[in-house]
Amino acid sequence: MLARAFQAVPRPVRGWVLPVLLLLLWWAALRWQWTTSPLLVSPLQVWDKALSLLSGGEAWAALGASLRRDLIGLFIGASAGLLFGATLGLSRWSERLFGPSFHTLKQISLFAWLPLISLWFGLGDPAKIAFIALASFFPVVLNTFEGIRATPPELVEVARVLRFSRAQLLTRVVLPAAAPAIFTGLHLGLIYAWLATLGAEYLMVAGPGIGGLLVDGRDHFWMDQVLFGVILVGAVGMALNTLAAIIERRALAWRGRSAGLF
Amino acid sequence: MSRGGHIRIEHLNKQFVVDGAPLPVLRELSLEVAPGEFVAIVGASGCGKSTLLRLVAGLEREHDGTLQHDGAPITGTSLARGLVFQEHRLFPWLTVEANVRSALLNSGVPRSEQAKLVQRHIDLVGLQGFEKAWPHQLSGGMAQRVAIARALVNRPQVLLLDEPFGALDAMTRARLQQELQHIWRSEGITMILVTHDVDEALFLGDRVVVMEPRPGRIRRVLHVDLHHPRDRVSAVFTDLKQEVLAELGELAEAA
Amino acid sequence: MSAIASTAPGDAPAAQGTVAAAPPRWHALARGGVALIVPALVGLLWWLSAEHEWIAPQVLPHPLEVWRALQEAVVSGALWDNLLISAWRALGGFVLGAGIGLLLGVSMGLSPTAKDYLHPTFKAFAQVPVIGWLPLLMLLVGIDEALKIILVAKAAAVPVALNTLKGIEGVPTRWVEVARIFGYSRAQLLRHVVFPAALGPIWTGVRYGLTHAWLALVVVELLASSEGLGFMIVYGRQLFQLDVVLAGVVVVGIVGYALDRGLAAIEARLGRWRREAF
Repeated sequence: MLARAFQAVPRPVRGWVLPVLLLLLWWAALRWQWTTSPLLVSPLQVWDKALSLLSGGEAWAALGASLRRDLIGLFIGASAGLLFGATLGLSRWSERLFGPSFHTLKQISLFAWLPLISLWFGLGDPAKIAFIALASFFPVVLNTFEGIRATPPELVEVARVLRFSRAQLLTRVVLPAAAPAIFTGLHLGLIYAWLATLGAEYLMVAGPGIGGLLVDGRDHFWMDQVLFGVILVGAVGMALNTLAAIIERRALAWRGRSAGLF
Repeated sequence: MSRGGHIRIEHLNKQFVVDGAPLPVLRELSLEVAPGEFVAIVGASGCGKSTLLRLVAGLEREHDGTLQHDGAPITGTSLARGLVFQEHRLFPWLTVEANVRSALLNSGVPRSEQAKLVQRHIDLVGLQGFEKAWPHQLSGGMAQRVAIARALVNRPQVLLLDEPFGALDAMTRARLQQELQHIWRSEGITMILVTHDVDEALFLGDRVVVMEPRPGRIRRVLHVDLHHPRDRVSAVFTDLKQEVLAELGELAEAA
Repeated sequence: MSAIASTAPGDAPAAQGTVAAAPPRWHALARGGVALIVPALVGLLWWLSAEHEWIAPQVLPHPLEVWRALQEAVVSGALWDNLLISAWRALGGFVLGAGIGLLLGVSMGLSPTAKDYLHPTFKAFAQVPVIGWLPLLMLLVGIDEALKIILVAKAAAVPVALNTLKGIEGVPTRWVEVARIFGYSRAQLLRHVVFPAALGPIWTGVRYGLTHAWLALVVVELLASSEGLGFMIVYGRQLFQLDVVLAGVVVVGIVGYALDRGLAAIEARLGRWRREAF
């Protein structure tokens, strides 16, 4: 019976049912004061706060600062990661020398590095960027390394038959073959970089940023600001993810749907 | 390139080392392929025919005995010897056109000429119109045709084919055999084909080399003096087929 | 690949007529030795720079100091206590989160209707990392155990749910069709086909869930706790006792590593039949 009711709702609408229900619950909790906590704000308050922060410029400043750190840190971490990952993948020796140490270090929970970094770099932007770079470094290295390692030997043989030089082999076979994996690594790096941006801003509260918005809200018990911050975080995360997916799809258009390579 | 393409194999011995013990794969194999000839090599799995082809291509190197191309010892791969694998092995990130062009990278052919050469060979394998397609969009037969075009675009003296049509369905296979034969007759390239399809070997080859395994040796060489295109159901053809199958059948019993 | 190519040894391009025999024992030892070169060099550098004070001791304490701090923490029982507290929280949160994740993943995977309703909301929640939820939850539930457990649970639930969903959806239809031909009931289908097939991805999800749970725990303890490993690290940092911080980091790393290795071993045991699939 219940199942019938659930299935009666048309498909495109179904995804909205739960959020709407939650919103209704929220509104009801306020309306009939199910809790007396002063923290409970109405959705309208959040909306108002959002508007004021956006028009007042604080939200944009915070967003800008966070994104700036995120992208700089990502750039540093991803570049270093690509280089190091490629080195590990191409040179057996460097893999034997550095590989085990790297694999051990990558096991350390990311945020455990924060206190260390804050002691070494202080609390300002350089420290945050260092942390963000570190966060994106590991997944990029890992995926680049694995992508290069997984070059199909069958295609390498074709390159031998066609007399490719070592440089040609690297640029025209190994790298393109590793491209899907490298993109996965970069995508993960992007995700972790955003995570690290927030974490850094939260722990090293110096300077503007979305993390700062959240901390501020928490310290002043401004629930509406905190909620706005949360929504902002989610929105930016989703936007970055979508952008990455689009770039990936474009660059890897040659892949098609099949998993088989040759 | 000059129309050479003479392959000489004399007293070829090849072994692999497995778990420390030597495993002979080819023993005292001798064969000469004249320029422009089409030689088909048949044999069951494990008789070393692929290894033989890879040695001629230069992909495998260690061996005992003589292995020469136009008098020069074969010490590695060469653009004068093209190779078509059983899988098409096209670079998935390149279009059909770019794939064929990739073979010209070290050919010394000036860029202005390359486009023409590439187009000629795409037309040769009947894929005009598909220049901008991605490999994943092609059927197995089409992809293999691109692989053949890629192997031919350098105008090699020798074309080596390692079970090129094994992964295709019967109808595509028959069609591609005809196309390959057509190409052979018009370009005059030496071709060495490895296959386990007796029909294919007899349809295409001037000579059919039957190999036996463990270790790989030539059991028998048949001359096929029929005119092209050959009638697969003619009495002569069928007789030859029976002969070859008999050789292989005896091998199967002895095994 | 032709039958020849797959059966003839030495066709791999690396082989030049030989197939590599099993490497001798000393090979493995040499490998291990080489792996230690870099850590040893780093250790040496650390020692030297501390001895000669090339870097201020506040920034880089002497390795012996760190060792001493570790010893002290162990002896005084502080390390063990903190570790246990952290471990219990992580475990509790993880079990809760994994359970929720499994439930969500299974229901979304088996029922497209459920997926229609739940997936969009789930995805939206998953977009915001633990750090993002921290201030909000702090306001709602304070900084007690509840905060940690909830956040750890959230961190674990997301990968478990996602991987479970993918695992169940990814069961090849051809196997399901075979089961239907044999007249399997729905329950039998689930038990004998769907779950064994999905077990691999589900376990991967559990592994990620545990890793993320541990990560989230450290984060939360760094920010909002008065005991546990994360707190220990932060405390050391407040007092500029870098040796304590490093000791804490080392232990966090070891625990994380051990957890992951343990689960990986179980995964290898479970997933043996999957080797050929890929």
